[in-house]
Amino acid sequence: MEFESVIHGESIIKKYKGFELNVPMLDVPKGFATALIGENGAGKTTLLDILAGIRLDYKGSLKFFGKYDDKDRENNPVVKNNIGYEGTGNYYLPSWTVKQAREVQTLLFENFDEAKYKDICSKLAVPDDDNKKVSDLSDGNNMKIKLAGVLSRETELLILDEPASPLDPLMRDKLNDMIRTYLNEKEGERSVLFSTHNIADMESVTDYAIIVENGTIVEEGFVEELKEKYICVKGEKQDEEAASKILYSMTSNNFGFEGICLSSKLDELAGLSVVKETPTLSQICIAVMKQNSKLYGIN
Amino acid sequence: MIISQTSGVPIYQQIADSFRSDILEGRMKAGEYLPSIRGLAKELRISVITTMKAYEQLESEGLVTPVQGKGYVINAQDTEMLKEQHMRKVEDALTEAIASAKIAGLSEKELMETLKILLRIREN
Repeated sequence: MEFESVIHGESIIKKYKGFELNVPMLDVPKGFATALIGENGAGKTTLLDILAGIRLDYKGSLKFFGKYDDKDRENNPVVKNNIGYEGTGNYYLPSWTVKQAREVQTLLFENFDEAKYKDICSKLAVPDDDNKKVSDLSDGNNMKIKLAGVLSRETELLILDEPASPLDPLMRDKLNDMIRTYLNEKEGERSVLFSTHNIADMESVTDYAIIVENGTIVEEGFVEELKEKYICVKGEKQDEEAASKILYSMTSNNFGFEGICLSSKLDELAGLSVVKETPTLSQICIAVMKQNSKLYGIN
Repeated sequence: MIISQTSGVPIYQQIADSFRSDILEGRMKAGEYLPSIRGLAKELRISVITTMKAYEQLESEGLVTPVQGKGYVINAQDTEMLKEQHMRKVEDALTEAIASAKIAGLSEKELMETLKILLRIREN
């Protein structure tokens, strides 16, 4: 499926000792929720930090909203105001109180809506205690006030780094709702890019998936397309060996096997008695990751 | 609209099926619009792309047409096609009834009688 890109990147490279992020081509579709999926250390945060402008020491070119480059992102308030970023680090001074954290945001961002912020905080069940220090908040509550911060601004792109990680299941569900609401408020104009290593929790909100492994993109596409590209296959023990040559990734037990293969390879399974199912996004991600870990010789 | 996560029928298919019967059975009229893609995704708590795929399927069946900036409009439906659609439903239901009648050991005459009685009840 063709799409317009809210972020387009070329030859994005950042080298660390022992790790290199190297993304020849990046496209984040406009109007959708995109998940950046990968193992710990795959390069998700590095990539998001580069996109958000937290990290500026990289090579490559970036284009935002189809017309602005990364210098505009730094210098043009229109671009800056239209991007909301939430990172895993602390970005309020530990000594600040909840109240001060809120007031700083009203000063920093022209489009910060304080009433909306308070409303989101109460919806997310953030303890209503203005004098509490930010550093005394739990990880979950810390994330909630950060999310309330980005969602209270009139933006067109959200970049969220692991928003679900510190949240409990109920709050993850609310996060999904908030992302859908955000997208719906401006039909087709708003986009969300978030990273996660726990895709099962975010699957119901993910439209486009970008899987990163070892610093580079190994698979990407609209979820519905990926679900057609790959297929989940289950079979009996006697067919295991024959199937193992065709399946992308496979787990077996004493009674049978289960695995993911490319739908285009289904013909090769003819003759084996197998059950075919549409895979979940998690299953696809795990299969792709396993496959690539094998290629890189990690496992 | 009921969406089942475990029925084995893909979610986009369930959405398309639901709107299709709404359109073909006249509950949604020509010229009306389907709910916005992101609005429906929000309400049903599913992803945008799933909703989009459902709408594209309805489009490929000629039931709706995308209008730039306004969403998907319901096309005027061919009455012949509508009738055909209903005819198929009648046949399906009767086939099922015949199968049940066979299991119950009903004769052809008894089956016809049952149908006649049901028709009469309906009319009153």
